[in-house]
Formats: sequence, C-alpha cells, structure tokens
Amino acid sequence: MADVMTETKMEIEHLSMYYGKFKALEDISIDVHPKRITALIGPSGCGKSSLVRCLNRMNDLIDSFKIEGEVRLDGENIYKPGYDAIDLRRRVGMVFQRPNPFPKSIYDNVAYGPRLVGIKKKEQLDSIVEESLKKAALWEEVKGNLRESGLNLSGGQQQRLCIARVIAVQPEVILFDEPCSAIDPVATQLIEDLMADLKKNYTMVIVTHNMQQAARVSDYTAFLLVQVQGEPGRLIEYGDTNQIFTNPEDERTERYITGRFG
Amino acid sequence: MRSKKYDKIATVVFWAIGTISVLILAFIILEILGRGLTTALNPKFFLGKPEAIKPGGGIFPMIYSSLYLVVLTLIISVPLSIGAAIYMSEYARKGKATTAIRFSLDSLATLPSIAFGLFGMTVFVIYFKWSYCLLAGAFTLAILNLPILLRGTEESIRLVPNTYREASMSLGSSKWTTIRQVVLPSAMPGIITATILPIGRIMGESAAIIYTTGLFIRNIPTNPFSTAAPLAGYIWYAQTEGLADYRRIVDGSAALLLILVLIIYFAARYVGSKYQKKRLPGVDNG
Repeated sequence: MADVMTETKMEIEHLSMYYGKFKALEDISIDVHPKRITALIGPSGCGKSSLVRCLNRMNDLIDSFKIEGEVRLDGENIYKPGYDAIDLRRRVGMVFQRPNPFPKSIYDNVAYGPRLVGIKKKEQLDSIVEESLKKAALWEEVKGNLRESGLNLSGGQQQRLCIARVIAVQPEVILFDEPCSAIDPVATQLIEDLMADLKKNYTMVIVTHNMQQAARVSDYTAFLLVQVQGEPGRLIEYGDTNQIFTNPEDERTERYITGRFG
Repeated sequence: MRSKKYDKIATVVFWAIGTISVLILAFIILEILGRGLTTALNPKFFLGKPEAIKPGGGIFPMIYSSLYLVVLTLIISVPLSIGAAIYMSEYARKGKATTAIRFSLDSLATLPSIAFGLFGMTVFVIYFKWSYCLLAGAFTLAILNLPILLRGTEESIRLVPNTYREASMSLGSSKWTTIRQVVLPSAMPGIITATILPIGRIMGESAAIIYTTGLFIRNIPTNPFSTAAPLAGYIWYAQTEGLADYRRIVDGSAALLLILVLIIYFAARYVGSKYQKKRLPGVDNG
C-alpha cells in the first residue's frame, strides 16, 4: 500500500498540450513518486496516452505538437531549451501499446540500447542481455534461441521482450502505454506480476483503460476526462489508488469507476 | 436472377481480358525467341567480335557495354535515390517545397527518353567534352530513371512501420541512427525490388544512349570514358544501317537482350529474398 509520500521523481506542473490549434490537455499537475506505480486512467480520447508521451518527449516526433507548463525529472525541466531529449529517453524508457520488437533477433533487440551507447564487448553485451531478459521474466523461455527473430515470439512474450529491451538501457523511469491492450489475460497477469517486481528498482507510470488493472498494480491513480466533446482532457482527481477506488472525492470519478460512463 | 447473370458475364469478360494480355506477352516472347534463339545461343555470336562490312560478326562488346552501363548507372543512381528518398520520407515536412519536388519528378517521369538523350549529349558529351562514352550514358540514364527509382525507394521506406521508429527513438537513439539501424534494414528488400525494375529499362533503352554512349565498337570498352555500344542501341543501328547480315544480328541480339534481362531480374529477386531471410537471425547485422 502506498504510504503518504512527498518525495517525487517527476513533476508534471500546469501542463497544457496542443496538436496544432487543438488543445488536447489542459492544466494537468501530477507528482510521480519514486519506485511507485502511477496509473493514468480515463475513457478513450481523454489524453492519457498523450500525457504519458510528454514524460519522455515522444510527442516531439509530431510536427505540430506544443506544450505549456513544465515537466520535471529530478527537479529539472525536461522541456527547457537545450535539454537533451535523447539522454532523457535513456533515463525514461517506454513500453508501447502494441508489442513492437524490431525485426531482429531476440539478442539484437535487447542489445540495441546498450550498443547505442557504444558497448561492443561480447561478454558485456551477453551479460546485459541475460540480466535484462531475467528481469523481464523471459530468460527461461528464450535462453536456447536468442538468435531467433523477436517477431516469432507470442504477443505476450514480445511485450516482455520490449520490457527487457527497455531495462537493458538501465532507465530510472519506465512508462507503459496500455501495455496489455493487445495481449491475452494470462500474458497480462505475467506483465502485472513483473511490474510489481520491477517496483523495487524503477519508477513507473502506466496508462490503462482497464480500471481493475489500475487498481491491482498501481499505488497512485490519476483520473482524466474530456467532459464535452472537443474540449481538452482535464485531471479530475489524483491520489492514492485505494482512496480513488474506495472513496473518490469527485462524483465523476465515482461514476467512471463504477462503470456508469466511458 | 439478373445479378447472377451479370456476374457471370463480368467474370468471363475479365477472364478474357486477362488471358488476352498474357497471350500477347507470350506471343512477343515466343516471336523474339523463335527468330533469334539459335543465333543468340551460338558462342560465335555472343562471344564474337562484330564485323563492320563482312557478315558473320558477333556482339560480345555490345553485351559487355550493356552490363557495364547497368552497373555504372546503378552506382550513380542508387545512392542518390536512397538519399533523396530518406530526405523525402523522413526529414522533409509536408509543404510547398516537397510538393514542388514531387511535381518535378513526376513531370520528369513523363518526358520522352529521346529528350534525355539530347540533354545528355549537350551536357556530358559536348559541354563536359567527354565525347561518346559509358559515363555520359550512365549519367543520362541515371537522370532518366531517378523518378521511378526514387518513388519505389521512398515507398519501401514509408512502408516501415512507425512503431519501429518509435521503439528506436524511445530507446535513446537519434533520428539518423534510427534510420540507419532500423528503417533502412527493414526497407532493404523493398529497395532491392525497386532497383530491379529500372535495370530492364537501362538494358532496353536506346533513344537515351544513341547520342551519349556511341553505337558501334569492335573491342570491349575498358573504362567509363570509353566509347561503347549497348545492345539496344546496336539493334537500332544494325537495322537502320542495314549491316551485311542485319536480320541475323537484330534477331539474335533481341533474343539475347530478353534473356539477359530475365536472368538479371530473377537473380536480383533471389538476392532480395535471400537478404530478407538472412537479416533476421544474425547477431551482428543490426
């Protein structure tokens, strides 16, 4: 259970986000606590995926994207001019909605990040690959065929491969953008167990449309909502997951978690 | 039932159209091979030297010229089109500049090849003082093929799923590293296929080379600045000049040209599919 925590790893402060003229998010403030799991929930189109992509500046890849406000990592604004987005993405890794291993071998997938920073020695790469696959609970299943294509694995295995690929970069924060929406319940269970295990070492943020999943894995939950079609997504309530799910302060949160809309 | 009847009629009509087009193709191939295959497969012909006045010459220097020209043209145009395709698909923002580039390329693609030939002669042969040579022909053909090569290459790069790019960027790689490590390797089979198509065009092009590479030689060209006589141009030359036994030369050359193009086509496809298979399992190719 999440204790009351004042320490923060990342802070989202008065963040508004635009795609061209369209305002997708308005005035969002969330503290992301270290070595905890923060869940972003809300109905489709509420901007939760857009929000999580602000945390490692993946939105930079979209031409018309613009933000107001700040996102800080260890107290430093990641959107300040001159901030190194490439270095940021090494510190804040991401697991996507659909498993997206490269069309390369399992080994090469995991070794991709370490090779980027210039690690070339075979023994060193071997041990990083083994270590990362073990942490991602995939080692036992693939240790005999590391040379096989990552695309030959099942969906759930591919997603764990993607988690191993992120772990190999040794990030401080891992973002999960609906990581289980494309895989089956058994594989989902495995990934949730894995997240609980990874909490010892990593700060995590998970976007999910599955409220049970948010309740099961997260320590803190933020509920986002677009109230009228065309308006930006706003933060309705943010707090301890237990409290959000048992005793929400806002009536809209209660209506959402009891399944009355969305 | 009326609709059933129409359906039947449509099926028959489309089947007939399909059959007719295949038959036309088969007729052309059989006609060319029927006339020239025996000449083409005679070693005295495909390994022999051409004769200017006497009958009985071979066409080895012409075959050599054609192949040399293909290699030179690809050396010039493939890097150029890959570079341009990367720019167009990965870097250029949609706007007036890219629309203008695309429009120019599409216009270039519709230009008749004789226009390229005259341009190549003016610029490379006369202005650069290269005189008739392989390199002049190669540059001319590179420009001629640029639109189609660029289009195909760009298409293969665009077909690489965006999730690969996202994954690579999210692991802390720069845009250029992403292109080099993930986008280009994934697009490579498509790029190879896109490169095969122009090979046939380079081998078969005559209008663009008659004013740039030359039409008749007796010895094989030794370097890019040598005068050469690619097969397609030589066929035109032998026919219009009415060489002593031009009928035999023209038929044999046409058959040989067809065979060469087919061999290159299937070889390139084979290499492309091999490449695709080989890329996946290896450790050190990423």
